[in-house]
Amino acid sequence: MRSVALPDLLRSNRGIVAAYGIALALFVVGVLHSPGYASDTNVRTLLLYAAAIGIAAFGQTLCILTGGIDLSLPWTMTGAAVLTAVLAQGDPGRLPWIFALLIVLAVLVGLLNGAGVAYAGVPPILMTLGSHGVLASLVLVYTRGGMSARPPEIMHEWVTSTLLGIPAPVIVWVLIIVLATVMLSRGTIGRRLYAIGTNRSAALLAGVNIRRTLLVPYIVSALSGGLAGLLLMAINKQAFLSLGQPYLFATAAAVAVGGASILGGSGHYLGTVAGALILTLMASLLTLFSLGHAWLNIGYGLILLLALLIATPQSKRV
Amino acid sequence: MNSAASAPGTVRRFVLLLRPSGWLSGAKLWALMPYLYGVVLAAAIIAFNPDLILGPRALDVRATALLPLALVAFGQTLVVFTRGFDLSIGGIISTTSALLASQLTGTGLELAVQLLSLLAFGALAGGLNGLIIARTSLQPFIVTLATWSIWGGVAILFLPQEGGQTSPELTDLVVGNVFGVPVSLIAVAVLFGAWVWLRWSRLVLDFKAIGSDERSAELAGVPVARRKVQVYAISGVFAVLAGIWLAGQFGGGSPTIGNEYILPSVAAVVVGGTSIFGGSGSVAASIAGALALQMIPDLIFVLEISTFWTGFLRGALLLIAVTISSVFLQAARSRL
Repeated sequence: MRSVALPDLLRSNRGIVAAYGIALALFVVGVLHSPGYASDTNVRTLLLYAAAIGIAAFGQTLCILTGGIDLSLPWTMTGAAVLTAVLAQGDPGRLPWIFALLIVLAVLVGLLNGAGVAYAGVPPILMTLGSHGVLASLVLVYTRGGMSARPPEIMHEWVTSTLLGIPAPVIVWVLIIVLATVMLSRGTIGRRLYAIGTNRSAALLAGVNIRRTLLVPYIVSALSGGLAGLLLMAINKQAFLSLGQPYLFATAAAVAVGGASILGGSGHYLGTVAGALILTLMASLLTLFSLGHAWLNIGYGLILLLALLIATPQSKRV
Repeated sequence: MNSAASAPGTVRRFVLLLRPSGWLSGAKLWALMPYLYGVVLAAAIIAFNPDLILGPRALDVRATALLPLALVAFGQTLVVFTRGFDLSIGGIISTTSALLASQLTGTGLELAVQLLSLLAFGALAGGLNGLIIARTSLQPFIVTLATWSIWGGVAILFLPQEGGQTSPELTDLVVGNVFGVPVSLIAVAVLFGAWVWLRWSRLVLDFKAIGSDERSAELAGVPVARRKVQVYAISGVFAVLAGIWLAGQFGGGSPTIGNEYILPSVAAVVVGGTSIFGGSGSVAASIAGALALQMIPDLIFVLEISTFWTGFLRGALLLIAVTISSVFLQAARSRL
């Protein structure tokens, strides 16, 4: 099994380096256009939105590393937000119980996806496509198809609070980045995930318990998706049904822009972090140039293609 | 795939039992499954309200609901034969719908020219996917994810929100009758006919060859790059056809309407029993799969439960179909 120490990773994976380069270039464009772009307030806002994509994409990165994907992510996000807003009814005292319930539910959703992939042998794209429909339907039934309930005020205060000038969600994101890096670059689980993504039969022969290991990315994805859903709800001060919708594309794009192969076996969460920064910077730049939603979609598509072309050397494109 | 993903022993034994029983062998039964789902759903609906299936205009209504998904599923199936995916159909359908509701609202000959140029757009947009995929060998999933986003943006440029007005002649064209037979019904029949005509053609066999083993296909003389461009171009044309039909039916456009067809088109292919690992399958079965998926709203109607359960039942049907094919597949492999 190959190990992925950090310096080696950066040397071998030009996708990650390129992604940080693109992010930096986009930031410089913003600063050149308007000097206020580098102000504390703006950087803080940018990081807050990047954190939402980055946290949501944590589990997605692990899924893609093993050659899978989690299409059900938008509805885990929306589901967590909707449940919290409806169950809390503005009472912060209920939050601990709700969070405990959410963790249990997220683990169940992750287990369902993971078990389908690992034990029933269903291709991940189909397993999570099925659970995407099932979860969406359950959320719609639960909310009768329309809602915008408000979460307890205190949640908005949490996500807007800062520590040493850094927004609290960004600190959470940094903790996740550290956790992911330790997991992928130092931990056994990371090596096992890469091994499964690279060559499943070889991983099996090397003694990896493939089934049990494959449960991990999907459980993490449901948990990190739920957390991102709560974050977005708290930022917007409401839970709404289309909350998670943009994040299927955003997380997959962040992972791919960050230099990971959709076939699995290569990539790193540090790349996804750069991907999340790029997507956020693009959205903010296009607003700066007063270009609307349409150009954002076009820009996302183009940057995704560009990053893929830069990241993948001709020889490695299988 | 690997031994880590094997079926439970009892199920495998059950499947093996089917094997020696002549025409009802495992492989043949598997191929019949999508039609079986349709029959079971139809029977369930008939039990509650026969008119929905056997009523005077039932066939017409069903064909109308089925056609757009059947069109997209046709192209998607061919792409899946090559072990690819086409998510860009979402953007191409949306762009078609947006253009027809905002710019291309001519009548008579002008409309004909506009529709033809839309078809050319579909072939070009699809061909571009194919070109990128063939030339760079990037993954189809991620390439078409990018182009979906691009065409989705273009659609919003032409039609920022749902609305607009299509040419009234377009509506007459798609919801009309020919000798008393509804156009949608004829179109579905034509799709079946096209598949029967095409299924053993060099083109389709090449697609399947690429999907089952690209390198061997290349060695056997299949023009792999050209076929990839062709298959995505065909898928683009089918997406435009679906977009034209939807715009005509509603008399207006929506810049996001295509997004509702991406995942269902993959679901139709899979419920139809085509393997996403490429190399085998049938377009007719995909259309049957699309039919089964489109019957779920009727089932919900007769059961008098909330329409919000639609996604649940469609997801459940997909998972059942996929698990059954995966069990059959593993049983078939264990016989080798």
